[in-house]
Amino acid sequence: MPHYIGVILDENRLAQIKGTPLEEKIQDLFGGQLKMLVVEVPEDKSEQILKAFDRARIDSRGFIEDLPVAFKRALFEEIAKAKSLDVIDKVLERLPEIQEAAKKESEYIPPPEIE
Amino acid sequence: MAKLKMPPPHGGELVNRVIEKKEYAESLAAGAIEFDLKPTLDPNGVPIRHVYREIVSVCYGFFSPVEGSMTQNDLEGVLKERRLENGWVFPYPILLDVSEEDLKSLDVKEGDRLLLKLKGQPFAIMDVEEVYKIDPKDVATRTFGTPENNPEVVRQPFDEKHPGWMIYRCMNPYVIAGKWTIINPPKFREPYDRFWLPPAECRAVIKHVKKWRTCIAHQTRNVPHTGHEMLMKCAAYTGDIEPCHGILVNAIIGAKRKGDYPNEAILEGHEAVNKYGYIKPSRHMVTFTLWDMRYGNPIESLLHGIIRQNMGCTHHMFGRDHAAVGEYYDKYATQILWSEGIPSFGFEAPPNEVEKGLKIIPQNMAEFWYCPVCGEIAYSENCGHVKEKQKFSGSFLRGMVAEGVMPPKVVMRPEVYKAIVKWWKVFGYPFVNNKYLENLNKELEVDLAPMEIPKA
Repeated sequence: MPHYIGVILDENRLAQIKGTPLEEKIQDLFGGQLKMLVVEVPEDKSEQILKAFDRARIDSRGFIEDLPVAFKRALFEEIAKAKSLDVIDKVLERLPEIQEAAKKESEYIPPPEIE
Repeated sequence: MAKLKMPPPHGGELVNRVIEKKEYAESLAAGAIEFDLKPTLDPNGVPIRHVYREIVSVCYGFFSPVEGSMTQNDLEGVLKERRLENGWVFPYPILLDVSEEDLKSLDVKEGDRLLLKLKGQPFAIMDVEEVYKIDPKDVATRTFGTPENNPEVVRQPFDEKHPGWMIYRCMNPYVIAGKWTIINPPKFREPYDRFWLPPAECRAVIKHVKKWRTCIAHQTRNVPHTGHEMLMKCAAYTGDIEPCHGILVNAIIGAKRKGDYPNEAILEGHEAVNKYGYIKPSRHMVTFTLWDMRYGNPIESLLHGIIRQNMGCTHHMFGRDHAAVGEYYDKYATQILWSEGIPSFGFEAPPNEVEKGLKIIPQNMAEFWYCPVCGEIAYSENCGHVKEKQKFSGSFLRGMVAEGVMPPKVVMRPEVYKAIVKWWKVFGYPFVNNKYLENLNKELEVDLAPMEIPKA
């Protein structure tokens, strides 16, 4: 059974995929208040991801969650580069680099500046 | 239907083993053998449990009728059929475990009195009833069950990835059994002090201050999203001749799995729900229980029922994947327990229908999701737009938070998000990580006043 990874699209990410076929694949969430791309992950690849990141897990929707921000960032980079959602192999090729960045993330993530 | 009233404490009477009078407390501890309480560490040295939390919860009556570290008979009863030796339902082993080295240096035997110290100060005494050996792995596995022995609800064997199993797995091999008595009542630090309401006081507040005749408990280990809020609001429509008068949020506070929210954000996040009027404060109250969460789904739900009955609640809401992590249990294991029982865990009938069982009434709830067709948060048993549904997911929200995206207010109230960010700024991290656990283990939730114990 495949699993999924949701990639949230903020304004900056939306601009990067403007005019590409990816625009048609954008899903609206919560009355359009959130926009997201959904990447399908075959089971053997999702096992590889779960093994690589000890906090990662499958949620009740079948989505792989609690992934490092570095992973999500790399995933979007590959999507924007390939203009396709079929990029999971490319991301897995970058696993050592992502794991290295994720290590730093387990200590500190800068908080957002809100009032 | 008859009007409901507050149920009695589990076991008949609330345990109260806290000595407030200092001189009397000092005299009880005089000459006792000193022992510094220690955390349970995982194989990487990360603290995953501190027995002091269990001592507090026992002595203030949250876990009534348990009065201390369990004897071997109690432990066997709990592991075999979730019953204490006296027959009352209780789900988890409560144990003061010590290493062989500590046991040798203590040289304790039945009849001795121990002085348990915390943060360098006298904290509690215990009268030793028994010292015995356990196999921590066996205790861990029998606590949570196996697919072979508990096929009704256990879906995969428990292992190192399960934080509750790891707590028991990492315990020391010797148990000192006996009743605990706190002799130096802990002082809760901010923000815990605002939410500290032990069972006797909670019952009094519910009865005399809030004047709630009926009250439904909400278990939480999470910062609330609007799905949780709707669960609380809708579950509270149960009651008797009218909806429940009150909603008691009771957060489980202690060491948690990495990736959960910090305790402080959980408490203040829930507080924001009533402070900013999403549920009126006259109808909603936030409290906590000290316990290093075991994530035991149906097993944990029994403890939750006991705690909240002891706090004075008439009802308890149980959702999907209650107190669960991973896919070890059936998603509806807790609801199976409370609707038909789980014979292999000792329940031929639901826990509120067995002898010496609970009196709290379960309210099993299905799920809430966002429905773009209805344009609102909908209850799964009402909403027919199954294809269009957008499910709430705590981990999806955590991902959004980590990426620095403010969740839309239809999913999380902005004031709740601000509580997360407030503590994110304090800890440099929005979730529990090793650093948070190490700091929590050092500081704990409490301070203790200096106390001089006369030598024998």
